[in-house]
Amino acid sequence: MNRAEKEQYLREYEVLKKKGKPFFPYAVLKDSAMMFVVVVVVVAMSLVLGAEQGPKADPTTTTYVPRPEWYFFFLFEVLRVIKPPELVPLATIGIPTIAMVLLLLLPFYDRNPERRPERRPIATTAGIMTIVAMAYLTFLGAAAGSPTEIEMEVEPQYEAGREVAAGLGCLACHKFGENGNSLAPDLTHIGAKLPANAIERTVRVGPSFMPPYEDLPPDKFDDLIDFLSSLQ
Amino acid sequence: MTRRRVFGVAVQGLGGAATAAVLLPAVGFALAPVFEQEPELWQPVGTPEDFTSDAYTPRVITIVEDIGEAGKTTVYVRRGDPGLSEQEPELPPEGANDFIAISTRCAHLGCPVRYVQAASNFICPCHGGVYDFQGKVIGGPPVRPLDRFQTRILDGQVEIGPRYSVTGQLDPVRYRDPGEFTGGIWEYLYPPRPSVPPAP
Amino acid sequence: MKFPQQLIPGPLKRPSAPGERGNGSGNGNGNGAGPVDQLKEVPADLVGWVDERTGGSGFLTGMLYRKVPKGTNWFYTLGSATLFAFVVQALTGVFLAMYYTPSADEAYASITHLTNDVFLGEFVRGMHKWGASLMVILVFLHMGRTFFFGAYKYPRELNWVIGVVLLILTLVMGFTGYLLPFDQRSFWATVVGVNINGTGPIIGPYLSDFLRAGPEFGATTLARFYAIHMLLVPGLLIALIGAHLYLVVKLGTTAPPWVSAERKPKSLREEQV
Repeated sequence: MNRAEKEQYLREYEVLKKKGKPFFPYAVLKDSAMMFVVVVVVVAMSLVLGAEQGPKADPTTTTYVPRPEWYFFFLFEVLRVIKPPELVPLATIGIPTIAMVLLLLLPFYDRNPERRPERRPIATTAGIMTIVAMAYLTFLGAAAGSPTEIEMEVEPQYEAGREVAAGLGCLACHKFGENGNSLAPDLTHIGAKLPANAIERTVRVGPSFMPPYEDLPPDKFDDLIDFLSSLQ
Repeated sequence: MTRRRVFGVAVQGLGGAATAAVLLPAVGFALAPVFEQEPELWQPVGTPEDFTSDAYTPRVITIVEDIGEAGKTTVYVRRGDPGLSEQEPELPPEGANDFIAISTRCAHLGCPVRYVQAASNFICPCHGGVYDFQGKVIGGPPVRPLDRFQTRILDGQVEIGPRYSVTGQLDPVRYRDPGEFTGGIWEYLYPPRPSVPPAP
Repeated sequence: MKFPQQLIPGPLKRPSAPGERGNGSGNGNGNGAGPVDQLKEVPADLVGWVDERTGGSGFLTGMLYRKVPKGTNWFYTLGSATLFAFVVQALTGVFLAMYYTPSADEAYASITHLTNDVFLGEFVRGMHKWGASLMVILVFLHMGRTFFFGAYKYPRELNWVIGVVLLILTLVMGFTGYLLPFDQRSFWATVVGVNINGTGPIIGPYLSDFLRAGPEFGATTLARFYAIHMLLVPGLLIALIGAHLYLVVKLGTTAPPWVSAERKPKSLREEQV
C-alpha cells in the first residue's frame, strides 16, 4: 500500500466510523450474547460429555494406540502419510515451521489494499483451500484406526478369519477397508481379484518382503483364507 | 563527562548487573538437566535359559528411578542367533551367548511398538512403521532401526544396561531421540549431548 | 431503543451534545430530596469519589462510547468470545490447581480424587477440558474472520502478528496442559510431541532435553510442564492479550469489506444513529 492508498483508507474509515453506533451498548450487547452462548456450550458439553479419566499412564505398554488431541489430528495425519524416512524431518519440523512463518508474515507479503473477498482471488482461494485441507486431514486423522483392528463388517462365519488377520499384523502393511497401511496391496476386495488358491499360495510363501505364514495352525490358516476370499 | 552521563552509564551497569544476577541462575536452573549425566543402570531380568533365539520375550525394566510406574519401560530380549549372522554377513555378528535387547520405542516418534509373533515383525500403531525380526525398518516412516540396550551376563543373570541407537547397518552409536537419523553427517547435525552416554 | 440514562452513574454518562440535557449530570441533592432520593444518589457519589481519585472515567467513557464502524455484525463477537473462553479456562484452571499434584506418582491419583470425591469436581474438570477445545475452535474462527475481512492490512499488521503469536501460545497451552492428567493418552501424546521437537537439526535434541528435563521422561518433566502451563505461558498470554486489546481500541475494528463509505442516495430519509 502506498501513501495515497493508506490515506484514502483512513479517510474512508473515518466516514464509516462516524456513521457507526457506539460500542456500548450496541456491540457490547452482541458480545454479551455470544459470551452467554460460550458459557452455555461449555457447561452443556461438560454435563453431557463428562470428563472420564483414561487408564493410568503406563510406559511399559505394548498394546496401546497413541493418539493426540483432536486439534492436532491434521499434523498426525501428515506424519502418517509421509512415508519415506528421509522426508520425516520435513513433516515434523519443516511444514509446521513454514506454515507458522507464512502466517506470521502475512500482512507483509499481502500488499493488496483491496479487502473485499471477491476482489482478492488469490487470498480467498488460498484461505479456503487451507481450511478445506486442514479439515480433511483432521477427519482422516480421526478415522485412522489401530493396527490390530479390522472394522469392516463381515458375515459371522468369517469373523474368526478376520480376527486372525487382525492379530497377525497384516494391517501393518495392507489395507482392509479403512484400517491399515498402504505399504502393500490393498486387500479390501482381494477375494474378487484372486482365486482362493492364489491367495493361499501368497500367504504361505510370502512374496518380496512379506513374511511366510506357513507355520500357522491349519484351522487358523483356513479361517484366514476363507475370510480373504470373502472380500469381494 | 557530565554528571548526567556518569549516572546514565551507572544505571545501565548496575541495572544490568542486578538483572543478570537474578536471571542467570534461573536460566541455569532451567537448563541444568540438559547437562546432567545420569549414572548407568544395570538390572537383572532373568537367567540365560529364559530366553530363546527365535522369539522375543518381553521384560519390564526401570530406566528412571524414583518415579514408580512412569519410569519403567518394556524390553524385548532374545538370545543371539549365529544362523542370522551367516545369512547377513554385513551386519555385526551374533554369538549364541550374546543377548539382544530391543527397545519398544519406535524410531519414528517414540510410540510403543509391539512384537507380532506370527509375522516376526514389530509394528507401530501410530504412523504405520514396520520393523523386521532384527529391528531393521521394512516399511513406514521410521528413520532408523529400533534402539537396543546393552546386555551382559553377571552372576548367572542376564543384565540390561543403558540404551544405545544403531545405524542402518546395526552399528552401535550413542543414543538419540526418535526421529533423528544416525550415521554419516547426522552424527554432527545431532551433536553429542552430555546427558547421553557414548556408544558401547 | 435507548439505554435509560438515569441508571448510569454521573461520571460514566455519555457526554452530552450541546444543548441536549438541561442541568448537568451527577450528584448533589436536587430540590427537596427525601431519604429515599438521597439513597439513590449513593452509587453515583461512590463512583464520583473513585473517579476523582483515579481519573478513570475518561478512559472508560472513551472506550465504552467509541463508535464502531457502520456494518459491524455478529462476526465481530468472535474475538471477545475467545477472550471469554480464556477467562473461563483461567478460572477453572485456578480451581483445578487447588486439587492437583504435579508429581509423576500422584498426579493421576489426585485427578481421580478430584473427579470422584470433590463436589462438582468432574463438572469443573469437564468445563476446563471442553473449554480448551472450544477455545481452539474460537481462535481459529476469529483468525478466519480477520483473514477474510482483510482486517490484517494497514494499519493493523502488528495486531495480526500479535494474534498469530497468541494462536501459537494457545496451542502450546493445549499441549502442555494435556500432559497433566497423566493418563495413557496424555503420556504418549506428549512423548510424540516432544520427539517431534527433537527432530530439528542441531538444537532439536537440546530443545527436547529442555522440555523433558533430561534425555528420558523423568521425575521433573511433569513439574516443568506444569510450570509452563500455569505460569510462563499464561503470563505471556495475558501480556499479549492486553497489547492486542489496546491496539483494537486504539485503531478501531474494521468495517466489513462490503460496506462502502460513499453515501448511496437510496432514499431521502435521514440515517438514524
